Amino acid sequence: MPLKTNWFHILLSLAGGEQHGYGIMQEVSERTRGKLRLWPATLYGTIKRLIEADLIEESDERPAPELDDARRRYYRLTRLGKRVLDAETERLEELVHIVQVKRGLEPAR
Amino acid sequence: MNFALRLYRALARAFPHEFQMAYGADVIQLGEDIVEDVAKQNGFFGLFRLIADLAIRIPIEYLTELRQDLIYAVRTLRKARGFAAVGILSLGLGIGMSAVAVSEALDMILSDAPGVREPDRVIMVNNVSYPYIERYGDQHDLFAGAAAFQMAVPYNVSVGEGASAKAERIFGQLVSPEYFSVLGVSAARGRVFAPDRDRPGSAPIVVISDRFWRERLNSDPSAVGRTLRVNGQTATIAGIGPKDFLGAIPFVPADIFVPTTAPEAIAPELAGDAIHQRDAKTFNALLRLAPGVTVESAEAGLDTVTRRLDEETLDPARNAKGLRVMVLPGGKVVPVPRSMLPLVLGFMALLNGLLLSLVCMNLANMQLARATARRREIAIRLSVGASRFRLMRQLLVESVLLSVTGAAAGIALAFWAAAAVERMRLPFPFPVRFDITPDWRAMLVVFAIAVMAGVGFGLAPALAATRTDLASTLKEGLVGQTRGARRFGMRNLLMVGQVAGSLALLLITGFLVTGFHKTNDIVLGFDPSAMYLLSLDPVRDGYAADKAAMLFDDLGERLQRVPGVRNVALALKPPCGPESGVLTLSAPGAGGAPDRIVSGVAKETVGPRYFAALSAPVLDGREFDIRERHIEPSKSRALPVVINQTAAHEFFGAAEPVGRRLSETSNSYEVIGVVKDLPAPMSDRGALEEVSSIPVIYMPMTKNDFQHSTADGIVVMVRSDHGGEVMQGVRRELAALDPNVAIFRVHTLAGQIDDTLANVRMGEFVYGGIGTFGMVLAAIGLAGVTAYSVARRRKEIGIRMALGAGKGQVLRLVLREGGTLVIVGSVLGFLGAVALSRVFSAMSSMFAPAFRAGMSDPRLLLGAPLLLAALAMLACYIPARRSAAIDPLRALREE
Repeated sequence: MPLKTNWFHILLSLAGGEQHGYGIMQEVSERTRGKLRLWPATLYGTIKRLIEADLIEESDERPAPELDDARRRYYRLTRLGKRVLDAETERLEELVHIVQVKRGLEPAR
Repeated sequence: MNFALRLYRALARAFPHEFQMAYGADVIQLGEDIVEDVAKQNGFFGLFRLIADLAIRIPIEYLTELRQDLIYAVRTLRKARGFAAVGILSLGLGIGMSAVAVSEALDMILSDAPGVREPDRVIMVNNVSYPYIERYGDQHDLFAGAAAFQMAVPYNVSVGEGASAKAERIFGQLVSPEYFSVLGVSAARGRVFAPDRDRPGSAPIVVISDRFWRERLNSDPSAVGRTLRVNGQTATIAGIGPKDFLGAIPFVPADIFVPTTAPEAIAPELAGDAIHQRDAKTFNALLRLAPGVTVESAEAGLDTVTRRLDEETLDPARNAKGLRVMVLPGGKVVPVPRSMLPLVLGFMALLNGLLLSLVCMNLANMQLARATARRREIAIRLSVGASRFRLMRQLLVESVLLSVTGAAAGIALAFWAAAAVERMRLPFPFPVRFDITPDWRAMLVVFAIAVMAGVGFGLAPALAATRTDLASTLKEGLVGQTRGARRFGMRNLLMVGQVAGSLALLLITGFLVTGFHKTNDIVLGFDPSAMYLLSLDPVRDGYAADKAAMLFDDLGERLQRVPGVRNVALALKPPCGPESGVLTLSAPGAGGAPDRIVSGVAKETVGPRYFAALSAPVLDGREFDIRERHIEPSKSRALPVVINQTAAHEFFGAAEPVGRRLSETSNSYEVIGVVKDLPAPMSDRGALEEVSSIPVIYMPMTKNDFQHSTADGIVVMVRSDHGGEVMQGVRRELAALDPNVAIFRVHTLAGQIDDTLANVRMGEFVYGGIGTFGMVLAAIGLAGVTAYSVARRRKEIGIRMALGAGKGQVLRLVLREGGTLVIVGSVLGFLGAVALSRVFSAMSSMFAPAFRAGMSDPRLLLGAPLLLAALAMLACYIPARRSAAIDPLRALREE
């Protein structure tokens, strides 16, 4: 903490469920309106480190056969990964709150 | 786009093996999937980003792996603490010692004197007379300039006027006006001497060093023009030298420069018109080579000129064989003759090379043994898919880490040792700048050696260890048939080399140490701590010459009356100091026989009853007494001299020496007595048959000697009856004589001997240390190899024991293997050491006496190999004992 931007976005992409590399890449790109692109080598380098840090894991369950792409590997959050994502989200919310209080947009809690 | 895709695929294959195994396919797949979209959306720039992403990530992945390797290496080394400690310590010691030696050589021998312009073009000739140097300067085709100087000249200098100003003994140089222009040194402030401005009779001036200006004059900006009192006379500061300039030979730093045009009162060395005496060989010549002249041709030219001058002056040295002059470099910190350089550097390179290669062999051996011991671990990792390259890198990282840590330890040690050496006292009456800061070039070399050793000695074992047959290794446990089992396997060769190398090192250093000890042992007939030495220098306290002589006239008698004093004697140098052979004398042959010429005769000037005070027996004739004190030296009369036994033998053979004549240029001497040889440590005439015997001629102290004294002043030797504290009485008596005469350098003869032998002792210590270290290394190496060999043969030993072999038999089996290696290594090492010692003593007179004395010592010749062998066998025995403890059942179950 704080999490690296790439880490945060990958964790966030997996928050909704399992994803494969391509999916993560596209989701991040769409979510940030193209501002953040995870190019292939960066993507898999980061995935490797996230796995080593035990924040995500390779999933052995397969989605419904009609959606399954046999060539791809799917990843999902570990329990630790979920907790780290929650903590980071909370931290960011806290930050945003502080800034808004400062600007007078929001009353102090 | 096609091209981009091809490039992308090629790059993706450059990822580290492990990453590729896990994600290589995914990366390529993903790239193929998106390449069209990217090209459509972002065009060329997008494709560029796609490729750049790979290009950036590849090195990152490699670095990550390297970091992991490093962490892993640290962890494994921490687990094998003994192994790591031995490796780091031995590398550190070896590298540290070598770094100090190399730095010393670079700093002292090879580095230029600071401040000198084109230092390589300046040469020096020692011990010549002023008229000779003037003649050298006339050779305009050879030299662009010539200057005369005397170094380590003491001056009593007081800053400021009045009685409050305390005089300090400052060392400087007496220089001819050409000195600074020959060195190419100009003043930082004021001016330096110049031949056209400084003539005899002009007002006394001096040039001071930058250091003197800063430390004694507090960097006074108006220092030029100020006056100093120098030897009791007023002199004006004409200029301040450039920063860091401390004279021509900064090994003996000079802080004050007095011109040879100064009056005798300031420069007592000039007494007796020394500048015009052809036989007053008290000056050193500094010569700047003319453009295009080589040192060799200058040397040849100098030799011719000197021979011609010798003929003119009838110097007996004219008939001596060989070169008449020895040219020294003039722009170095320490002048070492060119001809000696290869030898000095070669010897250093040999010792350090031997030491470093021992360290490396040891490391290689340990790595090899360890890598083999880790075969199982490596086989498992290989079988679960680790790449051989990765494993090798892992092992390499480990050994490089080890050697770099060792190098760091070595460099720390080098700094510590350099500081220790700097603090050491050296046996000179003047200050010496012995400054060996470890040189960064040396450090770089050391680091390179360390890394090379790490890579080189890590690579071979890594290759061997990863080239194993997986299945058999896993199945057979530790047993796999290795190449090391061959008789001439790498390991055995390394072992023999290590034993041989360390024995050679031990013997060579042993020869030197015992040789130094024998040639420099000072044995006196009495307790040297009962003799006090103190120095007086009344001339430099402002005394006139004849008054100074009078002061010493009744000094002896008065001190003799102090209770507890047994003998009192005077000399120009403390006894048992380093001799300096400078004279060449001839003895007229009797009955038409040719003259007997002996060169390298040391000269001592001593007062009455000198030998009685030292308990040195007079063998023939008599020693000086009060009669010689009053001699008025003149050219026409022969001066009475005493010679030592060696000189008597060399000049006159078996004939009676007393009453015979000796002659030197224009002086002649009459021998009145022969005295037994006194110990002569560190003589530079070591090439003779008998060690520690050099010919010495003792001159009587006359009025002239009180007029200009050397750096030691006049040494008063007071021998007390029972070692009691007599110095208080002596001081009281001296104060009663004249309270203004400064007493300096008060110490005992025992202290003097210690000082004289300080660097001999240091040599003994260093060489002894190197030898012992080599021996310990060899023992460690042997222990490691034996331990490994026992581990390797576990199964075989188990079978033997199961078949009924006793523990003793097994032990003998293991020891026999180590013993053979030790014996072969010892024989080779012994032969090598003897051969190398012969080579070195043949090459140099410097090492010859020490080697000769050392090589004839049976204790060393037998003791060193036996000691090493014993240690080696012990090193074999300890791990071998473990072989006997092998449980045959367990060893066999590992099948």
